[in-house]
Amino acid sequence: MRHADADAGGGADGGAGQGGHSCPGGADTAAAPAGGAPPPHAPGPGRDVASAQEGLRHRQSRIRWHLNRMTPSTLSVPFPTTLEAEIAHGSLAPDAEPHQRVVGKDLTVSGRILAIRWKAEDCRLLRISVINFLDHLSLVVRTMQRFGPPVSR
Amino acid sequence: MPAVLGFEGSANKIGVGVVRDGKVLANPRRTYVTPPGTGFLPGDTARHHRAVILDLLQEALTESGLTSQDIDCIAYTKGPGMGAPLVSVAVVARTVAQLWNKPLVGVNHCIGHIEMGRLITGANSPTVLYVSGGNTQVIAYSEHRYRIFGETIDIAVGNCLDRFARVLKISNDPSPGYNIEQMAKRGKKLVELPYTVKGMDVSFSGILSFIEDVAHRMLATGECTPEDLCFSLQETVFAMLVEITERAMAHCGSQEALIVGGVGCNVRLQEMMATMCQERGARLFATDERFCVDNGAMIAQAGWEMFQAGHRTPLSDSGVTQRYRTDEVEVTWRD
Repeated sequence: MRHADADAGGGADGGAGQGGHSCPGGADTAAAPAGGAPPPHAPGPGRDVASAQEGLRHRQSRIRWHLNRMTPSTLSVPFPTTLEAEIAHGSLAPDAEPHQRVVGKDLTVSGRILAIRWKAEDCRLLRISVINFLDHLSLVVRTMQRFGPPVSR
Repeated sequence: MPAVLGFEGSANKIGVGVVRDGKVLANPRRTYVTPPGTGFLPGDTARHHRAVILDLLQEALTESGLTSQDIDCIAYTKGPGMGAPLVSVAVVARTVAQLWNKPLVGVNHCIGHIEMGRLITGANSPTVLYVSGGNTQVIAYSEHRYRIFGETIDIAVGNCLDRFARVLKISNDPSPGYNIEQMAKRGKKLVELPYTVKGMDVSFSGILSFIEDVAHRMLATGECTPEDLCFSLQETVFAMLVEITERAMAHCGSQEALIVGGVGCNVRLQEMMATMCQERGARLFATDERFCVDNGAMIAQAGWEMFQAGHRTPLSDSGVTQRYRTDEVEVTWRD
């Protein structure tokens, strides 16, 4: 659970490494227009609405491009035993993600580690998915603490 | 003598129940109540459920006097219902099933209501009126399916009542429907509302729009009181429900009617249904608030029937679903 605690946004071990709080994908991704390089068509006083909108669309398409191209981010959750990691997997994997075309996650177990990989095209939905996952993970862990340990097979 | 543990949390009630051979050994429940004028949202409801579910599970075990070893099967609501609350409860059910190495059974919420209604009342093969905040269906059993004879084509009757309660800022404690029922008893004037039976089906969204509009106008002019509106709404929607139930009973030649679901607690609805049944020489069955309103034991009971008939839900198939038709389930436990 150290990994989960370390990163508020949940993007712990991403291919890009730095995984910021709002969007994984590293420092060069402007999650909000305020980050990264200054936008080329910043609206200012006297600029007309049409070119301001064009500038916004340009920034948004750059963001989408970065998200689609970046390596999916991964959260690794260690458990005390292999069996408990498998139980967590069994509890958390079956439910389908809402907005399946835009956000998806894959759960795998290897040894004592439960690994979750997210792929997303939208920052906000990714954030919601991660937060919901962490809430349910916490519930599973509390259940195991209170009603475990698992009976021997 | 199998004992089944059942988890329910598809709307704002969360319950954990224990049933063994037709006896309810425990049935604790909590309700997420929001301030007057508001309804319950999925995320907040799920958060409430996550906060109380483990305490409820412990209560259920203690009250039943059983340990995890004594439980033979874990049942939970697979659907229908609200997404986030369903997931929050399913996750716990799957975890304890794996911790204790017990089989898992995913139950249809509507069938949970029906099976508990049958168990508690002893009704043989009734025409069922299932009315709640989320569902409004007339159901009859035939050849291994609970078939839907009539239903709402838009919103549930309970949803209509609950949303009307918000307009009048009626308290949601213990439930908006209960408070509307108490106010309706003091109503004196019948305000004419649209009456929308569509053959075997009903529609409530038009009535809701109409009465929301009427409420603002007539309360401002003092033409009627909030009690009159509560009374008028109940009389209208309940008469519609009685009509479609009667139509189904006539089609099936049925001599029994059973009311299940939270709106089934309403005494006025029970009175009106009783009058109709008496005119037809039929018997009316209804349960009390413990079993009408969503509860864990009803899921345990349906789960018990399914478990005995050999149903098992593998983990990979155990995902919840917001849409789950009553007639999708093969009712192998009845002839």
